[in-house]
Amino acid sequence: MIKNNYIVILLLSFISVASFAQDAKNDLSLNLGYYNNNNYTHYLVAHAKTKKDGRFQTVPDVTVSFYINNDSSAANLLGTAVTNDKGEAYLLMPPSAKDEWKKSAKHSFAIVSKASKLYDEAKATMDVSRAKLKIDTTDDRKIIVTVLELKDTSWVLVKGAELKVAVKRLDGDLNVNETQTFTTDSTGTITAEFKRDSLPGDVNGNLTLIAKIEDNDTYGNLTAEKVVKWGNKFQYVSQFDRRTLFARRGHSPWWLELLAYSIVVSVWGVLMYLVGQIRKLKKLGV
Amino acid sequence: MENLEKQKMVDDLLPQQFGKQGKIWVAVLITLCVIGFAAYCRQLSKGLVVTAMRDYASWGIYISNFVFFVAISLVGSLITAVLRLTNVHWSTPLTRIAEIIAVSAITFASIIIIVDMGRPDRFYNLFLHGRLQSPIVWDVIVITTYFFISILLLYFPLLPDLQIMLKYKERTSKWMYKLYGMLGSFWKNKPEQFKITDKAINILSITIIPVAFSIHTVTSWLFATTYRPGWDSTNFGAYFISGAFLVGAGGVIVAMYVFRSHYNLKKYITYDHFDKMGKVVVMLALLYLYFNVNEFLVPAFKMKKPEEEHLRGLFTGEFAPIFWFAIFTSMLIPIMILITKKGRRPFPAFIAGILVVIGSWFKRFIIVTPTLLHPFLPMRDVPASYHHYFPSWEEWAICIGSLAGALLVITFFARIFPIIPIHETITETEEHEHDKK
Amino acid sequence: MNTNDKSTSRREFLTAGLLAGGLAVVGGCSSRKNPFDDDVTAQIAPSGEMVKLLSVDGEIIEVDKAFLKPVPDLPQVSNEAARRGIAGKKFTMVIDLSRCKSLKKCQAACNHMHHIHPGQNWIKVYPMQDADHTSPYWQPTTCMHCDEPPCVKVCPVDATFKRQDGIVLIDSDRCIGCRFCMAACPYSTRVFNWEDPGLTPEIADKPYSCETSVPQKKGTVGKCDFCPDMARKGQLPHCVSACPNGVFFFGDMNEDSVTNGSETFRFSDLIKDKSGYRLMEDLGTKPSVYYLPPVNRNFPFEFHEDDDSTENKVKSKS
Repeated sequence: MIKNNYIVILLLSFISVASFAQDAKNDLSLNLGYYNNNNYTHYLVAHAKTKKDGRFQTVPDVTVSFYINNDSSAANLLGTAVTNDKGEAYLLMPPSAKDEWKKSAKHSFAIVSKASKLYDEAKATMDVSRAKLKIDTTDDRKIIVTVLELKDTSWVLVKGAELKVAVKRLDGDLNVNETQTFTTDSTGTITAEFKRDSLPGDVNGNLTLIAKIEDNDTYGNLTAEKVVKWGNKFQYVSQFDRRTLFARRGHSPWWLELLAYSIVVSVWGVLMYLVGQIRKLKKLGV
Repeated sequence: MENLEKQKMVDDLLPQQFGKQGKIWVAVLITLCVIGFAAYCRQLSKGLVVTAMRDYASWGIYISNFVFFVAISLVGSLITAVLRLTNVHWSTPLTRIAEIIAVSAITFASIIIIVDMGRPDRFYNLFLHGRLQSPIVWDVIVITTYFFISILLLYFPLLPDLQIMLKYKERTSKWMYKLYGMLGSFWKNKPEQFKITDKAINILSITIIPVAFSIHTVTSWLFATTYRPGWDSTNFGAYFISGAFLVGAGGVIVAMYVFRSHYNLKKYITYDHFDKMGKVVVMLALLYLYFNVNEFLVPAFKMKKPEEEHLRGLFTGEFAPIFWFAIFTSMLIPIMILITKKGRRPFPAFIAGILVVIGSWFKRFIIVTPTLLHPFLPMRDVPASYHHYFPSWEEWAICIGSLAGALLVITFFARIFPIIPIHETITETEEHEHDKK
Repeated sequence: MNTNDKSTSRREFLTAGLLAGGLAVVGGCSSRKNPFDDDVTAQIAPSGEMVKLLSVDGEIIEVDKAFLKPVPDLPQVSNEAARRGIAGKKFTMVIDLSRCKSLKKCQAACNHMHHIHPGQNWIKVYPMQDADHTSPYWQPTTCMHCDEPPCVKVCPVDATFKRQDGIVLIDSDRCIGCRFCMAACPYSTRVFNWEDPGLTPEIADKPYSCETSVPQKKGTVGKCDFCPDMARKGQLPHCVSACPNGVFFFGDMNEDSVTNGSETFRFSDLIKDKSGYRLMEDLGTKPSVYYLPPVNRNFPFEFHEDDDSTENKVKSKS
């Protein structure tokens, strides 16, 4: 459930006066999000929604074109993507954006979906200022996160930015303490105490800390990660090859195999012996 | 014994041609089989949706028919093995009837279970990927074993009879004569041969008893290894076996009567046989009644929550008519008939036998489907038809077709081979006369 | 300054967890091993095909295609891999009964994404009332993925099996349709394809994958599969994402954490604080689904006898 509330949402909608249900195309609303992953790779996400029966529904199979800078000219085309079942289309920042990207610290992106049988053309734009997060940790399990924004060519501390600090887990991030969100002070930092004691980590007890800014109007979505050794060591032992009643074929308990095979062998041994006796009868009858 | 008497016996016991009634009987059975087969073809193309089985009643009359067939097949071990090993001689004329019922029933049990499969085209998976932990795999193993033993128990005692039949070429058709030759032309009545077959029959009689107990115990475990009310019973093995012996004995009485009247075998299947089999049925019915009391009244005393719904459904609810019908017709009424000497005459015994068989078929239904319609969690988020079960015409056609097929096998067997062992009858009569002297 | 920190932290990047809420990109320089060694994504072999991307710093980098996220469609795992499961995980689900309003969005999403027959529901939402004087509540019920699954014990052909990550799946290419597993399951969670599921040719012709349970086949059994294909992509099962009230929590018990997409809790704390329990515990099946009792309910319980939408949706087929 990604919330995309970005700056300008442009809806071009035609409501044809003469047509009702049959001919009227639905309005398609597009949202655009920018995601920066651990300050390494970044990508754009387009979200397509339409209003049906008074409720918003995600729209799959919409082709979205992504542009850098606010105009949708071919020179600025970054790429196209099609929305999936959840109405999301992703585009990883391609190398072609290099020159534009290096030009300034602020960027604008636009997305356009062409008019189709069901929907009119839709557009959305977004402005992003480059920023990053920095995570530092202390020995007494304190996490210090700094938010920096790129102004021209230098990094400037940001005050009043909301962020979350958590431990990375499968599909979700577990807060390091009860505080849901932190806000940076005048020094552009926050300090969070790690309160998740004895949390299982990997085999060496490593945990990955993640600091993230979500749905920020200026910066988009940012994350930063750091590995620390604050978790419990967890050694995984697979039960897959254990012999049990519910294991796969050939892995039944030893007692069952012994019992079954010995019964079958002994009974069928007797039967085979008797079949042999028939052959003996035949011989005697010659 | 005089040769003339021997000759008369042989004459009486050789397979007879179908009379008019016989031909109508066979025609009816074949028609029922064909209709059943047509229904199966329909099921193969459309899927099991043509039945009335749905997600809750996921096992219906195919499975109860299967249990019924396995139950009836136990009669082979009862008559042939148990009575033979306990040195009972009056049952000798009935051994071949019992064995062919057993073989026929177990064959159709296998057929009906394939009919019940959703993907019979993947039948080979049972052998390629079979899991030893599964009760179904145990069932396949023991049923195959039992089938094989029953075939051998048909074959070994048949050998002396084949030799007799080979002497009467004019009394049989060309292909049957060839068949007899293929099966037993090497039989020369030599004492060494008799020694081997006697020993073989003894070994088989001993072996078949635990195997017979296994097939119905393992079949009962298809239900008892689950958690459901009505099935979660420690008693199921013994319960099923006692019921199996009952229905098998009832079936033998029916077969006895039919063969006796249609093949004129009154001298060989006598009033005494009906009297004794009648007593056996009474004893088995009382035994099965005892198990039923344990199976139903003990949980009823406790009325544990999941079982309460199930038991109320059986005693006074949706399934009450069938439940009480089954109890009365398979146990109570036959006991009342057969407990009197008059009741053990051939015709009343025959009626009692038919009641036992019919009542037992419905009893197997009571065992299988009502439990499935009383699940632990409420029946919800399913189409309305899922809450009930009444078999569709395809299911009826296939089940009746399978019963007709089993009867057809028995009928054809009696046409080809002597339904009463000729050689054994002659031997027994000679011994009897010898004892008298 | 920053470069050093980045490369050090990345080199120490050994984690058992997966990526955050749905979308993230795993990067790896072509010269370095995939840093996520224990990760689910790392169990995907590098394809060797590299993709050029622009990094945040404006440099051109190369990343192996298989490690990109969001990945359009992961190559289908082999049958052996699907039967073995994901190492290191033990999937678990927590269902918060105090939040359920029987909206059945979970049911709709699950049915839709698995393309199942219109009369079937893999998730059932039961109106429950344990005793006459106890409070009624809605109970969404999925497959319990038991640790001692009675269904797996009785399957004659190994068509249903338990994986090392705890998930119990069905191989519809192996199933012979004997329905013993349906009789054995005390939670009534398995459904049967009595007829053709009515799929479009596009879906019906797909090769079957145990992990997606698509396409369903006539004459075989179906049930909730905990969406292992989504887990491999680092995403939540469809029911979890679809529930607007956040009733379903999903996670890895080995990480002691469950999430419903917006909230993440420590599993042991959640069960302890809210007194979580499992269904029919006394049967000894050891289910993987925990329930949080319906205390301090968010919504009043409203139930109408003829409320069963499936009942009304599909005409009797008898």
